[in-house]
Amino acid sequence: MPPDETDVRLRERLVAGDDDALAEAYDRWANLIHVLAARITDDAAAAEDITQDVFVRLWQAPEAYDPERGALRTWLCMLARSRALDWTRRREARARYHAVATATGAVVPDQPDVDDAVIWRTETKVVREAVQALPDLQREAVQLAYYHGHTYRQVARELNIPEGTAKSRLRLALSNIADRLAAEGILER
Amino acid sequence: MDVHTEMLDLIGAWALDACEIDEAAAVEAHLNTCPTCAAEARRLRSAAGWLGLDGVLPVPEGLRHRTLTAARAKRPPALIRTLLGAYAGQASLLDGLLDGVRPDDWQRADPRHETVTGVVAHLAGNDAMLAADLGLRVVDIPAAAGPGVRDAWWEQTQVLMEGLADEAVLDQPVRMASSQRPPLRPLRDALVQRAFETWIHLDDIRAVIGKGQTTPPPEQVRRIVELAIELLPGALDAHGAARPGHTVRLVLDGAGGGEWTFPMGAEQPGGAEVTIQADAVEFTRLVANRRSPDTIRHSATGNQAVSAGVLRVAAMLGCD
Repeated sequence: MPPDETDVRLRERLVAGDDDALAEAYDRWANLIHVLAARITDDAAAAEDITQDVFVRLWQAPEAYDPERGALRTWLCMLARSRALDWTRRREARARYHAVATATGAVVPDQPDVDDAVIWRTETKVVREAVQALPDLQREAVQLAYYHGHTYRQVARELNIPEGTAKSRLRLALSNIADRLAAEGILER
Repeated sequence: MDVHTEMLDLIGAWALDACEIDEAAAVEAHLNTCPTCAAEARRLRSAAGWLGLDGVLPVPEGLRHRTLTAARAKRPPALIRTLLGAYAGQASLLDGLLDGVRPDDWQRADPRHETVTGVVAHLAGNDAMLAADLGLRVVDIPAAAGPGVRDAWWEQTQVLMEGLADEAVLDQPVRMASSQRPPLRPLRDALVQRAFETWIHLDDIRAVIGKGQTTPPPEQVRRIVELAIELLPGALDAHGAARPGHTVRLVLDGAGGGEWTFPMGAEQPGGAEVTIQADAVEFTRLVANRRSPDTIRHSATGNQAVSAGVLRVAAMLGCD
């Protein structure tokens, strides 16, 4: 699969300092990044800060994104996820020190009446179903790695399985999700 | 186990950022040399990217503005690249549209420039005027059928885009396209106008061949509005519609909207104020004279004759 032409062009414009390119990236993906950050941190203020950080980072160092490695959308998601996991870990560390439960502005996804909510909801449904369709053992492994930021070694320890098994479960799980998303026309085959 | 198999095993964990740092580096080094693994890595990484989509949550009001402001504070945008990017974007949309026109579409009637060919020739002529003022090559427009005119137009856009380097002087005075005598304005305004005019003619041709309207990105809409507001006081004077001591508050909704206040002429603004409220994109269509003061949906408070005068003059700002 060659790099996506639109992503390559957008990256060029960001590198050149085209201000509209940043606004365009924000308008396309802020929704997604914000939901993802909210899902991982379960904190409204953190989700906003992370969304802002992700786009500031994209503007400051667009060269860091390599179109050969995948879509810009994916790169932004993975960046948001890692920032969100960092935030969550810091919160957990703080909580351990202070033994105080942090009051969080709980985030409840799934509110209707958002622009292009129809496409959004359809895609969300497909992704959810793809995750739900996984065998339990694969789903468990993916959720530990993706939402909790565990390495495959930590996943192995957590689930009490050999490391090789953890690796292959993660790979199979993603492969199954990729197949399903391709069948629904969300991912290219 | 050979390196390839070992790496292939790790790709799922790598796609989820679930490897140790040294393992991730090894996987990435391998991906540079192995197309099979690189393809699998892209596939699994895309799937991982989609995992984040887990519900619908409105992005908070104001976050867009905060984010863009924070980003610009860290790294100032290059205005010349931004203006050229907007122009290139509209030119590329028009080029894509012209790719799909049938041979007989070129002769379809356009209300202002006779035919679709005429629209493209007119646009190329205005691009050429700017090129001439910048000392760049002027491309001759052939007296030929549509495709030849299209090629000349496209070539002229490329001459402009390649000829304007990062160090172009945006304050340099150049002629603006106009239905009357071309006024001199800074290059930055002329570039806003090139993107604006290209978009308007894109929509003209779309209308001729039975397609719907398009909307420019919000930042571009805002630049067109701001250019119009800069030109309005002088234009009100020139058309005898100035009202010394009056101020206009323009409230534009939708993408690219905002609030602006400007004087009704070159005189100092005064206390009597009219407020005009409309949609931002519709206002730019009025400036292009694709909406008339009578057909643009708007509301006005204050002296109705004054607000009607503002809309009438705004509709004369653009070129054909």
